Amino acid sequence: MEKIILIEDDKVIREELQNFLKRYGYIVNAPIDFNNIIGYIENENADLILLDINLPVFDGYYICREIRKISDIPIIIVTSRDSEVDELMSMNLGADDFITKPYNTDILLARIMNILKRTYGSLKTNNILSYKDINLDLSNATVKYKDKSLELTKNEVKILSYLINNKGSIVKRDSLMEYLWKSDYFVDDSTLTVNVNRLRKKLGEIGIEDIIETRRGLGYIMP
Amino acid sequence: MNIGEFIKDKTGIILSNMLLFIMLVVLLVTADIETVIIFFVFCIWFLPLISYMVVEFIKCKKYYDEINSILENLDKKYILPELIKEANFIHGEKLNYILKQVSRDMHENVKYFKGMQTDYREYIETWVHEIKTPIASTKLLIENNQNEVTNKIDYQIDKINGFVEQVLYYSRSNTVNKDYIIKHINLSNVVRNVVKRNYRDFIHKKIKLDIKNIEEMVYSDGKWTEFIINQIIGNSIKYSNNKNPMINIYSVKKANSVMLTIEDNGIGIIDKDINSVFQKGFTGENGRKISQSTGMGLYLCEKLCCKLGLKISIDSGVNKGTKVTLIFPLSGMAVFTEG
Repeated sequence: MEKIILIEDDKVIREELQNFLKRYGYIVNAPIDFNNIIGYIENENADLILLDINLPVFDGYYICREIRKISDIPIIIVTSRDSEVDELMSMNLGADDFITKPYNTDILLARIMNILKRTYGSLKTNNILSYKDINLDLSNATVKYKDKSLELTKNEVKILSYLINNKGSIVKRDSLMEYLWKSDYFVDDSTLTVNVNRLRKKLGEIGIEDIIETRRGLGYIMP
Repeated sequence: MNIGEFIKDKTGIILSNMLLFIMLVVLLVTADIETVIIFFVFCIWFLPLISYMVVEFIKCKKYYDEINSILENLDKKYILPELIKEANFIHGEKLNYILKQVSRDMHENVKYFKGMQTDYREYIETWVHEIKTPIASTKLLIENNQNEVTNKIDYQIDKINGFVEQVLYYSRSNTVNKDYIIKHINLSNVVRNVVKRNYRDFIHKKIKLDIKNIEEMVYSDGKWTEFIINQIIGNSIKYSNNKNPMINIYSVKKANSVMLTIEDNGIGIIDKDINSVFQKGFTGENGRKISQSTGMGLYLCEKLCCKLGLKISIDSGVNKGTKVTLIFPLSGMAVFTEG
C-alpha cells in the first residue's frame, strides 16, 4: 500500500481527506506539528506528498524547495490560489502536480493514481472488477466470461463498472448519469437507455444474460 | 481671450475715465479754453492709459493662449500645472502657484483613494482564498458522508463557489495587474471542464447537449477562459426553455481566428435589451422574470475578454434562443512557428 504524507493545517480538511484517502486504500500520515516538517518527511519515507501552500512556520513553496534538495518524492501542491501564475510557480519549484481548492475528489484521486503509476510503475494497481463469474478488465476494456471475451466501448465500461461497484443495490438513473458526466461522458436520458440496452445485448452475445435489471421508476440493479 | 472680452472686462475703468474727461471738457469749454489745449489734455490723459491697456492685453493674451494650446493637446488635462511655463507678470505667477498647489493636493487625494482600492482588492483576494478552505472542507465532509441531503448541500456549495469565483474575477478585472498567462490551450478541455462543473443542471433540467468540432488549440489563459465560458453556459442553463432545452457548442476555424459558439434555444433576449447586456448591473426583461440576476456575468465576460484580447458577441431573439460567440485570435506568426 502506498503511503501519502498530507501536509495541511486546516483540521477538518486534514481529517476528512485522511479518511477519504484511507477508504481508497492509501496509508495517510498527516503531521500536526509544523516546526520540523522537513525532518518529518525525511523520516517517514512516503511515496507521495500532498502539500498545502498556506501553512504556519514555513510556507508550502519553501517546503517544496527544501524537499527537492534531498529527495525526488512526488509532490502534489494543493492550494486555494488558483491562477496560472501560482501553478507555474509551483511547477518551477519542483512540484509534480497542482490542484486547486475546492477540489473535485475524483480528480484528486486520479492525479494521485497517475503520479504514483508514473513514478513507481503500475504493479500495485488492481484493474479487474469481478461480478459472479464475470471479470471486467479496466486496463483493456474487455469482459471475460468462462472462456469467452468481449471488447466494450469506453462508455459501456463506465456504465458496467459503476453498476458492479454498486452491486446488490439499486442504482438511480440520475446517479448513473451524474457519474458518467463527471467522467467526461455527456449522455442524456434516452441515450443512456440505448447504451444500457446495447450493453445488455453485447453481454448476451457471450452468454451473459439478465445481469442488469431495470427497476421501473427507480433505476438499474445488478442483483 | 479676444479683444472684445478684454474691453468688456475693463468697461468700468474706460467708462469712468470717459465720464470724468467729459466733465473736464465741459468745465474747460465753459472756461473758454482753446480746442488745441483740450486735445492736448486728452492726449496726456488717454495715451498712457491706452498704452497700459494694450501692454496688459498682450501679456494676458499670451499667457492664456499658451495655456489653451497646451490644454488642447493634452489627453490628461489635469497635468497642466506641470507643463505650464513661468509667467513674467504678477497675476500669472500667482495663478500658476495656485494651480500647482491645487494639483499637488489633488494628487495626494487620488493617491489616497488608489491606496484604498488596492487594499480593498488585496483584502478581497485574501478573503476569497480564505473562504475556499471551508468550502473545500465542506465538500470533503459531503464526499465522506454521501446521501440525499448532502448531495443537495453539495449542489448549493457549488453555487456558492461559483459566486465566490465571480467576486475574485470582478476584483481582477478592475486592475491593471497582469495575473494571467497566455498559453496554448485546448478549447475542448476547457469546454468539457465547464460542462462537468454544471452536470447537475444538465441532468436535472434534461438539457440536451451537443458538442461538435471543438478540438481546437487557441492562445489564452485557461482559467480565465474557463470562467468566461462558465458564465455563458450558466446563462444558457438559467434562461433555458422548459420544453426540450438544448445547448449546442461548436467552433469554426478561420484563417486568423477560432470562433467558439455557444447556442441555446432558451427564452432569448428582447431586442431593446440586447445592446445593454454587457453593461454592469444590467438585468433587463429577463432579470425581472428570473429573480437570480445580478447583471454581472456578461459584464465580466466582456471585460475579461477585452483584457485577454478576445472578442465576444451576442445574438438573440425572444423565444428563439441566444447565441454567444467567442473569437480567439490566432496570430499568423504563432501558427507558422507551430508548424
